[in-house]
Amino acid sequence: MSGTSEVLLRVYRYDPSNGGKPRYQNYRVPTFRGMTVLDALIYIKENLDPTLSIRYSCRMASCGSCGMTINGLPRLACFTQISELRSKYILVQPLRNLPIIKDLVADLDEFFNKHKLVKPYLIRRDVEEQENPREQYRQSEEELERYVQFAYCIKCALCYSACPVVSTDKSFPGPQALAQLYRYYIDTRDEAREERIRIVDGAHGIWRCHFADSCSQVCPKGVDPALAIQLMRREMMFGPSKG
Amino acid sequence: MAGRRNGLAVLVEALRTWLVPYRYGLERWSYTLQRISGVVITLYFVAHIVETGYVVGGPSVWTIRPDAQQYAERVWTETIKFLSNPLFDAGLAIIGFFVAFHTINGIRLFLAHFGWGLGRPTRPEPMHRPQSMSPTQRALFWASIAFAVFALVYTTNAFFGVLA
Ligand code: HEM
Ligand code: SF4
Ligand code: FES
Repeated sequence: MSGTSEVLLRVYRYDPSNGGKPRYQNYRVPTFRGMTVLDALIYIKENLDPTLSIRYSCRMASCGSCGMTINGLPRLACFTQISELRSKYILVQPLRNLPIIKDLVADLDEFFNKHKLVKPYLIRRDVEEQENPREQYRQSEEELERYVQFAYCIKCALCYSACPVVSTDKSFPGPQALAQLYRYYIDTRDEAREERIRIVDGAHGIWRCHFADSCSQVCPKGVDPALAIQLMRREMMFGPSKG
Repeated sequence: MAGRRNGLAVLVEALRTWLVPYRYGLERWSYTLQRISGVVITLYFVAHIVETGYVVGGPSVWTIRPDAQQYAERVWTETIKFLSNPLFDAGLAIIGFFVAFHTINGIRLFLAHFGWGLGRPTRPEPMHRPQSMSPTQRALFWASIAFAVFALVYTTNAFFGVLA
């Protein structure tokens, strides 16, 4: 892309205090080499329209706060370059499957609550050890490899937004929460396997997944939640895997 | 959580997520086709019962009568006549496609749900390809498509003799 060209951003606008009717607004933005969609939105906010609401923090695909729907797919705005979209026209909408707070800012509360539901932390049977841990938990390289991929999650909700099951079943925990369930379940330092199974064993739980794999398709960190879910189901159906 | 959505909004959302598979890769196409073929088979199943039972004679078809033999023959001939219509034949060919796809892809989904034929967890490198879309899964998906196309060609040929 040449340094002087321009793109047209068509941006979803929604202000609950302003009648609450969603609409779209167009902005022309000059581009530069390496420019991301987040750069373009910041340009709009600084130069064209300060009323536009966006959420971001790290600008380097680490914090997970800038997720939005860009040309139809859930993506991180800071991790999506204008040039890779190969289009002079970019449609920017908030994440699907979540309530909208304002403009491009989706409300992640329900997503985080589902994450909390699966108890995303190590659980030890010994209450004293749980509260005031004194031991070191040793783990082999191979034991680490079983879950470390799933520990890369930055809780950006792109997978949650892509999931066709979440969009019609709001009580389904979603790919992120289920992948984290497996991440702790398969961790050799964890001692709460039965409890973890009970949390998601149900018609609106892990069995609801239809393996459409859209979560793994959009995950910016390569977490592959669909893989974690199928591996978890294998554990639940055929019993715990050995070493 | 969002407020409760009304029935129509849920229906529109459901149809959109079922019927718009593009941009999400091969597995989403599988999801959509499995849904559509499943619903088509279910509708066909109902229509099939209705058609054999009700098209000619209604429920009386099922009662034993003195002239049962001749009556059954007449119902048979009339049903065949009613069904000998290129539209029904084309419909059956399409159902052949869907049944073949649904069966093979259904077996693939069973295996995948059991955790079979998937890759192993790996440390994600840049440009990582999800292991859930393993070569085995893709091969099985394309096998179900190939099988379905074969069924379509076979039935089309049976009805319309296109290959003769
Ligand atoms: C060899 C026979 C069959 C196999 C192996 C099979 C397998 C499957 C599988 C694995 C799914 C996907 C479940 C999921 O998405 O998690 C499915 C979906 C479906 N099947 Fe079948 N099926 C068979 C026959 C039938 C028949 C005879 C009917 C209708 C009477 C039917 C109706 C449906 C419907 C409506 C769906 C969509 C629901 C869903 O996506 O969960 N299937 N089938
Ligand atoms: S699994 Fe991937 S897409 Fe889902 S929240 Fe975690 S990092 Fe984001
Ligand atoms: S701003 Fe942190 S992930 Fe995009």
